[in-house]
Amino acid sequence: MARALSAFRPVFVAGVGLHPYQKYSMTPYVALGLTAVREALADAGARWGDVESAYVASALLGMAPGRPMLRHLGASGLSITHVENASASGSSAFRLAALEVASGQSDLVIAIGVDKPAMVELAARQAGLDILERDRVAAFTHFALLAQRYADAHGATPEDFARVAAKNLANGARNPYAQRRETRSVADILAATKLAGFLTSPQSCPIGEGAAAVIVASEDGLKRLKFDRARAVRVLSSASRSERLYDDDGGFDAALTEETVRAALHDADVQPSALDIVELHDAFSVEELLYVERMGLCDPGDAPRRLKAGHFDIGGEVAVSASGGLIAMGHPLGPTGLGQVAEITRQLRGEAAGRQHPGAKTGLAHMVGLGAVCVAHVLQRDT
Amino acid sequence: MAARIEHPTLYVEGPDGPVLLAARCAACGRASFPRQSFGCEGCGAHGDAMAPVEIAARGALISFAIVRKHMGGDIETPFAIGEVRLNDGPVIRCTLADGLEEAALRTGQKVVGLLAHNAKSSADVLELRFAPEGR
Repeated sequence: MARALSAFRPVFVAGVGLHPYQKYSMTPYVALGLTAVREALADAGARWGDVESAYVASALLGMAPGRPMLRHLGASGLSITHVENASASGSSAFRLAALEVASGQSDLVIAIGVDKPAMVELAARQAGLDILERDRVAAFTHFALLAQRYADAHGATPEDFARVAAKNLANGARNPYAQRRETRSVADILAATKLAGFLTSPQSCPIGEGAAAVIVASEDGLKRLKFDRARAVRVLSSASRSERLYDDDGGFDAALTEETVRAALHDADVQPSALDIVELHDAFSVEELLYVERMGLCDPGDAPRRLKAGHFDIGGEVAVSASGGLIAMGHPLGPTGLGQVAEITRQLRGEAAGRQHPGAKTGLAHMVGLGAVCVAHVLQRDT
Repeated sequence: MAARIEHPTLYVEGPDGPVLLAARCAACGRASFPRQSFGCEGCGAHGDAMAPVEIAARGALISFAIVRKHMGGDIETPFAIGEVRLNDGPVIRCTLADGLEEAALRTGQKVVGLLAHNAKSSADVLELRFAPEGR
C-alpha cells in the first residue's frame, strides 16, 4: 500500500541559501548556483563532502548544468540528478531530496535551483497537434481569462487584483533576495502598462535569474552536523499531481491546486487554519485570490475582502507570500520552488529579518507548473 | 480568386459556416479538438477508436480577455481572446472577431464561428473567429 512521507523516517530542512533574483546579467549560472550552495552549506554547518546527493532544478539552461557548477565545490563523486518540471522544477527537486532522505538512502541531500532567462521551445509545440489559438494566448492572457471568470463569479474589481501586487511588492521591498524591491500603490499598479483584461505589468512576475539551495537531512544527518535542533524545520508532507479533467469552470489551475494542497495538508495532519506562512504560485495577481480560497484559507469569493483587511499581510492571520511571492521576489523558474522553502524555513526559525511573521510555526509551499503540474509541501518548526 | 482557409487541418467551411475538425472517442463518446488519434484524454482509447467528426463552431463564452500586448506580428492589438465551451463538449481558446471590446462581451453569451480576413495576413486568407450570435 502507498504510504505518505510521514510514514517514513523524519526529514528536516537543515540549511538554505540563495543568490538574489535579478534581471538577466552576464554572471554565469555557475556563479549564481555556487553562491546559493555555499550559503546553504554555511547555514547548515555542513561541508560539501558531507552531502551525498544533489538534485539540480533548471528549466532553461539546457542539458546537464549540474556538474559544471558543482565540481567547483570539490569533485566529491556525489549522486547528481537533474530535474525539469517547468515552474515547479525546484519544488520537485525538493520533493525528490526529501524522499531520498525519508527512504533511508541518504542522510544529507541538497536540492539546488538555478536558471537564467533563455528562449526555449516548449515541447507542447512539438506534440504533433496544431494549435487553434497559436501564440495569441500568452501566459498573462491565460490568467486574464481566469481573472475575468473570477470577476464574473464574485464581482471582483480591478482594484482587488491590483491589491495582491501591492501587498507582495511591499513584502518584496523588505526582502534582500527579491528582484523587485519597490513598493507601488494600487492606483499606480492599475495605471501601468496593460497586458490583457484586468492585468497590468506589475501584476505579472518578472522572469529573471538567480539560484536557491536547500539541504535536507535525516535525524542522523542533523546529529552528524551537530545541528541546533531548535533551527531544524520538519518536512511534514509532500504532494505532487498533474491536471486531470475537471467539470469545474473555475479553471484547472485552481482545481489542481485544491486537490494537491488538500493531499499535502491531509498527509501532514494540518488544517488550513493552522497555516502561518503560505508561499504560493502568484505568477499573476489573480492566482493568489483563487488559490487562497481553494487552499481553504477563506471562503470562495472572500479573498478580496480578507486581503483588503490585512488578513494575508505579514503580521496578519496568515502571511501569504511574505517573500514578495513570484510577483516581487521574481520567478527564475528552477530556483523558485526552492526559494519558497528557503523563505518558509527562515520564517519558521524566526530568522526572516525585516519581514518576520510573528509566531510562525507551520508553512505551506505551493507551485503550479506548465502542463499543468502542481507540487505542495507542508513544513513545521520542530520545537 | 478563391479564398484560402488559414488552418485547414483545424477547420473547414461547411454548408452553414465553419466546422471544426475533431475526433470522437468510440469508447466514451468524448470529443477531442484538435482532431487526433494519439489517445482520448477521457479514457485512453486510441487509434481507430478516435473517429474523425466535424463539430459545429458553436458554444458559450466561458471567459474573455482583451489583449493589449502581443509579441507576434500575426494580428493587430488590441484583439480579443475567448474561451468557449463548444456545444459538443470541448473547451477551446479562440480569437474573437475584430472590434469586440469588453462592453460587447459577457460570460455565458452564445457565440458562433465565422471566417474572416485578418488585416495582418494576405487578403485571400480567411481565419476562424468567434463572435456573439446575431452580431
